[in-house]
Amino acid sequence: MSRPGGGWARALARFARRKPLGALGAVIVVAMLVMAAFAERIAPYGYDESLRGARMTAPSAAHWLGTDNLSRDIWSRVVYGARVSITVGFLTVALAMLLATAIGVTTAYFGGVWDLVVQRVVDAWLSFPYLIIILSLMAVLGPGLGNVVVALAVLIAATNSRVIRGATLGVVEHAYIEAARAIGCSHARIIVRHVLPNVAATIIILATIALGAVILAESALSFLGFGVPPPHPSWGGMLAGSGRTYMFRAPWMAIWPGVAISLAVFGFNMLGDALRDVLDPRLRGS
Amino acid sequence: MDLSRRQLLAAGSLSLAGVALGAPGAGAQAPKRGGTLSLRLWDPPHFDLHAPGGLSYKLHIALTFTHSRLLKPKAGPSVHPGTFPLEPDLAESWTQPNERTYVFKLRRGVKWHPKPPVNGRELVADDVVYTVNRFMTTKGNANAFMLESLARVEATDKYTVKFTLKEPFAWFLDTLANPMALAIVARECVEKFGDLKQPEAVVGTGPWMLDAYRPNQGLTYVRHPGYFVAGLPYIDRVEATVDEDNASRISSFLAGKYDIGWENPGTINRTDWVQIKDKVKRPVRTAEFPSNVMSHISMRADEKPFSDVRVRQAMSLAIDRKGLIEATAEGVGVMNPPVPAALRDWTIPMEQLGEGARWYRYDPAEARKLLAAAGYASGFPGSVCFTTYGSTVLVDSMQLVQKYLKDVGIDAKIDQKEYGAYVSSCFYGNFSSMAFGPQTPFLEPDTFLYGQYYPNHPRNQSHINDPQVADMLVRQRRTADPVKRRAVIYDIQRYLATKQYYVQMPSGVYVGVWDAALKNYGPNIGYDYGGRLTAAWLDR
Amino acid sequence: MVFALPRLLPGDAVQLMLEEKAYARDLDELRAKLGLDRPLHVQYVEWAARAVRGDLGKSLWTRRPVLEEIGRRLPITLELALLALALAIFIALPVGILAAVRQDSVGDLVARSLAIFGLSIPAFWLATLLIVLPAIWWNWRPSADFVPFGADPLGNLRHMLLPAVVLGIAAAAALMRLARGMLLEVLRQDYVRTAWAKGMSERAIVLKHALRNGVIPVVTLLGTQLPQIIGGTVVIETIFGLPGMSRFLFDAINQRDYPVIQGVNLIVVSTVVLVNLAVDALYAVLDPRIRY
Repeated sequence: MSRPGGGWARALARFARRKPLGALGAVIVVAMLVMAAFAERIAPYGYDESLRGARMTAPSAAHWLGTDNLSRDIWSRVVYGARVSITVGFLTVALAMLLATAIGVTTAYFGGVWDLVVQRVVDAWLSFPYLIIILSLMAVLGPGLGNVVVALAVLIAATNSRVIRGATLGVVEHAYIEAARAIGCSHARIIVRHVLPNVAATIIILATIALGAVILAESALSFLGFGVPPPHPSWGGMLAGSGRTYMFRAPWMAIWPGVAISLAVFGFNMLGDALRDVLDPRLRGS
Repeated sequence: MDLSRRQLLAAGSLSLAGVALGAPGAGAQAPKRGGTLSLRLWDPPHFDLHAPGGLSYKLHIALTFTHSRLLKPKAGPSVHPGTFPLEPDLAESWTQPNERTYVFKLRRGVKWHPKPPVNGRELVADDVVYTVNRFMTTKGNANAFMLESLARVEATDKYTVKFTLKEPFAWFLDTLANPMALAIVARECVEKFGDLKQPEAVVGTGPWMLDAYRPNQGLTYVRHPGYFVAGLPYIDRVEATVDEDNASRISSFLAGKYDIGWENPGTINRTDWVQIKDKVKRPVRTAEFPSNVMSHISMRADEKPFSDVRVRQAMSLAIDRKGLIEATAEGVGVMNPPVPAALRDWTIPMEQLGEGARWYRYDPAEARKLLAAAGYASGFPGSVCFTTYGSTVLVDSMQLVQKYLKDVGIDAKIDQKEYGAYVSSCFYGNFSSMAFGPQTPFLEPDTFLYGQYYPNHPRNQSHINDPQVADMLVRQRRTADPVKRRAVIYDIQRYLATKQYYVQMPSGVYVGVWDAALKNYGPNIGYDYGGRLTAAWLDR
Repeated sequence: MVFALPRLLPGDAVQLMLEEKAYARDLDELRAKLGLDRPLHVQYVEWAARAVRGDLGKSLWTRRPVLEEIGRRLPITLELALLALALAIFIALPVGILAAVRQDSVGDLVARSLAIFGLSIPAFWLATLLIVLPAIWWNWRPSADFVPFGADPLGNLRHMLLPAVVLGIAAAAALMRLARGMLLEVLRQDYVRTAWAKGMSERAIVLKHALRNGVIPVVTLLGTQLPQIIGGTVVIETIFGLPGMSRFLFDAINQRDYPVIQGVNLIVVSTVVLVNLAVDALYAVLDPRIRY
């Protein structure tokens, strides 16, 4: 949609006018990215810094979002939590998309036995309950930020490889691919130069929506005791752990991480929806 | 530090005094028969006390309602929580002709539950012998170690049982009274069902009978009409609910569904209690007593750097125990010497700990000096094996401990494991640096001390091989006189305090909570729910 | 995979059974007793041979037959799933249709925001609030005791309603977005334009084309969500005390109860294959363009 150069600003303005929710989502996502990138500058305290005499104080001028049971500043923890969520989210989705694209594009492009075999494996994978895949992986790998990433990525990759395969099939049918083949281009060149650019939009949209799902999934894992382990402050961990424990006496310990999760999921989904409407109308049903 | 403990104990006895003051009035009332008591219990993996997987509290608590032992700890409002005076259960009396022999006279006319295949026949000495032998010979009985000192058991007549030990074991009677060990089961059940795992095989001589078992949901008990104490139990029916989520438990308690606190042993976590006590609309009673759940840092004391006593002492000095109590136990907790403070008769008061008491202070500066003297001026890296046990309090404690250690230069990475992986490795000392977590809450000091400190014992997580400790551990087992035995146990604690093989954390103080309509009930630590409720009654 | 995956878990049932008190000798004896000491492929062949005959073995812990346990729990989880799906359809279809017909209107924005908001609350948190707040305010607890449907249908439904709502809200949000997207596409199709041009009323167009096309995503969702609902409601089952499949599986994984994990997996995977077949067949009925 947007042409390089001066068209950017205008395209953005038009996007914001036509897709106000999408623009709102984009703002939220950008805010999260900024929080994650500059956590040290934004957060007034360290995420594990206990402040003497400030146990479970309500939100105030000194502590915008209050403090928790270990006397830590919740605003600071929410800011650092953005870093954890973004790290988990982006790493997971990047890994998942890499896998999904590799599987989806090659199966659709080459077809044949390769397609058949890989798709049956994906079928089998998808027919297992998420729970057993994730819990088994977490139990094998042990809790840890990196392992949460791997466990979630493997799952998301399987689902999304289907959609990417579908999109690739649509591209491969086109005449220019056949033309490229006819003039003797190598498979690698065709895939990189012709197929990938045409499925890029699909991948971006899927990735945006998956980001929201990962953040939610991490919070559910935290509830089950398999989330990102301490001392890293993940939003899910803050809500499912001490947030839930002290929910009556210090509701702010639960509310703010909860709000952060909801906003992030809202932001990623709205942005994803809007991108879908704008970039690739065919994907609406997916 | 010492002060807070004394204050606490004072506070504990104060609230108990409150209970006791209420008691004469209650005692004047004649007990009422009838009613249903509801409480939260745990889903037993199966019902065979001796089979593998008949683990700890989940099964033991459930069977205290239905089964009897030879002896039991006395229950009721007059018993101080943390003490376990023994009284007869199936035994009428007992004698100890010599150090290694115990002879029990059984009550006559004790009837099994009127359920097939036992059908209410009389309990006799052979039943006891059968149970003890099954306990000792069933493959995979995780508690078999409790009777490892026993050589043989025999019935000398229909109502007399004689136990002969391999060596003197001063804790033998306490062991028989422990719900983990020796509930008497019926041979007919084992013969009919093959084992005792099915709910139909729950046939005992206890005050209630298992009426229904709903997997993952709950258990229903009904009164045993032929219970051997005439008139008991007063309560007709016990409804136990399996409830795996704390929010759900809070909700149920507030709605009046539970008559006693939902955590073992009939308590409510202080964190929850301070939040909901104003919202409980019905009258309830409370009593406070220290918890026997104690966490510690264990470490490879057989390897560098932990083989240097100064390093271990420095670690103890680095821990702000008061800070831990403030942050994780709502400011109410007790300091633990090597025997948890909850075991009132055996734990050494901090002020009598002598030289070793200084290591329980919080003194990071001194800790850094000690580390420097040991050659670790800039600290050292390490890892802490850990599992959450699903407890936010434990997770919070772990984070604080990590921070305290870091403050003195010990950079400990948390190596968090899933429970299954943890129990199969770190709990048995299979870790490379340190581990952190709670220990099984026993009721006598021997199981704590012997397991943790005797060379090559599987629960000797710190890999301690200290002949002086080993010698004292054996000596206390051979000291029959409780006063002299206490002196040995005090000596062990004094010695261990200077060595700091484990860095003990403080424990919380339980809040025992029960509905005011539940009379003649006194909370205590330990799994004996059934015993504590046998003579209790409901005034409604 | 059904067999091998659980065996990768570190630690084993035996160590967990002896919990925190084991001596090494006991471990080996117990393994031999449970037949866990033999080579894996021997155990596999034996298990597979029995599974073919419909015998999924017994739980290592309770010694109860796995199939019997599944038989008791599967209906509960299926009931929960069906209630949640029904609820989701009931909310999602009308809202989705409305949002699609009035694309980018205020109503559309509100509906979509609500949908995504519904998606963005962690289920455990919603469930927590739903059972704790009434208890705090009125000392009243909703959905306290589960009773089987057979014993007391009304009591059963009363208990299932709240968990179904929590589960249904997330499903409704996903479904509403799906329905809206599908409809938008349908409304742009040539035959719809033709219908407009012919002067058919909006209501008729939407009902005629929307209903049929709206059901397709529901069916799709059913196909893709079923394994997740069966295996993924552990949070809901835990908080609401439902003795369903998820909790069963979750406990089995934690206890390394291999026969149970294998049995549940086998049943879930077979159910999914069957449901997918049924879904494919339904497609063909609903959408004449699809032919096999």
